Amino acid sequence: MRVVWAILSKDLLLEWRERARTLSVILFAAVTLLLFSFALGPDVEALRAGSPGFLTLALLLSSTLALNESFRLEREDRALEGLVMRPVGATGLFYAKALANAILLALLGPLVVALAVVLYSLEVGPGQTVGLIGCWMLGAAGLAAPGTLYAAMTSRLKTQDVALPILLFPLVIPVLLGSVKAMDLVLFGDAMGQLPSWISLLVAFDVVYWTVCGVLFRFAVEEGE
Amino acid sequence: MTGDLSQLAVEASGLGRRFGRAWALAHVDLAVPFGTSVWLRGANGAGKTTLLRMLASLSTPSRGRLSIAGLDAYREREAIRRQVALVSHALYLYPGLTARETLTLWLRLGSGVPDNSAIDELLADVGLTYAADRRVGGFSAGMRKRLALARAQVEAPRLLLLDEPFSSLDTAGCELVETWVRSFVAGGGTVILASHDHDRSLPLCETVVDLRDGQIVASGPGGESRAGELG
Repeated sequence: MRVVWAILSKDLLLEWRERARTLSVILFAAVTLLLFSFALGPDVEALRAGSPGFLTLALLLSSTLALNESFRLEREDRALEGLVMRPVGATGLFYAKALANAILLALLGPLVVALAVVLYSLEVGPGQTVGLIGCWMLGAAGLAAPGTLYAAMTSRLKTQDVALPILLFPLVIPVLLGSVKAMDLVLFGDAMGQLPSWISLLVAFDVVYWTVCGVLFRFAVEEGE
Repeated sequence: MTGDLSQLAVEASGLGRRFGRAWALAHVDLAVPFGTSVWLRGANGAGKTTLLRMLASLSTPSRGRLSIAGLDAYREREAIRRQVALVSHALYLYPGLTARETLTLWLRLGSGVPDNSAIDELLADVGLTYAADRRVGGFSAGMRKRLALARAQVEAPRLLLLDEPFSSLDTAGCELVETWVRSFVAGGGTVILASHDHDRSLPLCETVVDLRDGQIVASGPGGESRAGELG
């Protein structure tokens, strides 16, 4: 736990000091939302109906930017190798990096949801806003774990920017589906009481990803034979 | 830095490392006791860095047997890493952290107790007190190397691996490395260094090992007397 906190606090400190990087992720998510509204034109109903999908895609696309960046610093002076050399354990290293990524993506939630409310003329009360942000955070957690694993795997490749989304996107389709459906039910009502099932599905995938990726991470950071 | 000095720090036999079809290290037999220093000598591409990385457990041997401080290099990597520190071409530093924060992080990853007075002492040892609260991104190459040396000391190793330790350093920095290596060996630790700096490495190390094309082709005594003989 001590080791996880040491690496996590280092990551958050560096993130704070290089705020331009965090800002670029926020701007990217905002631009993505804006482009969807341009693509659909002035049809407010269509924008509202599609908003759960647009929000989830904004999260997915901006996450690749954030995940790539999280390992750029570790690559610069091969600092990741230095961490591996310490008796840290790959599992501790994984949970620290994944938590830092999850926190960054989760912090995007309130900002991006607020922007979506304005851009797509969503009529939401405080409860729905909290519900949307909650769904965003569950989605962020579901992306952060496999995203951290794949970002570590691809961090040695020259083609990381391309390789990461190609590997990550197919794996997180269950999170994408769960997040879109849960946001849809939060926004437009849940007459059949399906929301708890979708939230459970999201939580279940989060637990599976965080467990399995934690086990597999050592293969991503250790040099093989 | 205590331990069983009768135990070998490094014991390698038939050690090889392949990258694709090319053998970077073909066949290395090496036995290095604790409390000694070894200079790995060889041209570029001879296999020095590959050997150091394997000794640091960063790279798995493709063949052969390797144990570090009696620990198996294939199965006991984590335990080996508690005994070894490596200062290589990559210095494992974060440009956004200050020198003090860098050492604090490394202490937290090891013993878990960041001791400010110990950090001040380490920074003073490597001549970086004046830059303690400056970010590493603004450091010169020599300052970065000095900080990496302090970082290696934080790790309290028994086996110290130095890859070109004199590069980027001024005369005072080189003397700092020499003093540190001598006191480390006197304390029972083992140093294996790879360097092209003949004048500094020969008197510093008790044994000289020549590597060529991934194999040890010769080995012999080094030290002050040998350096004196060779003029």
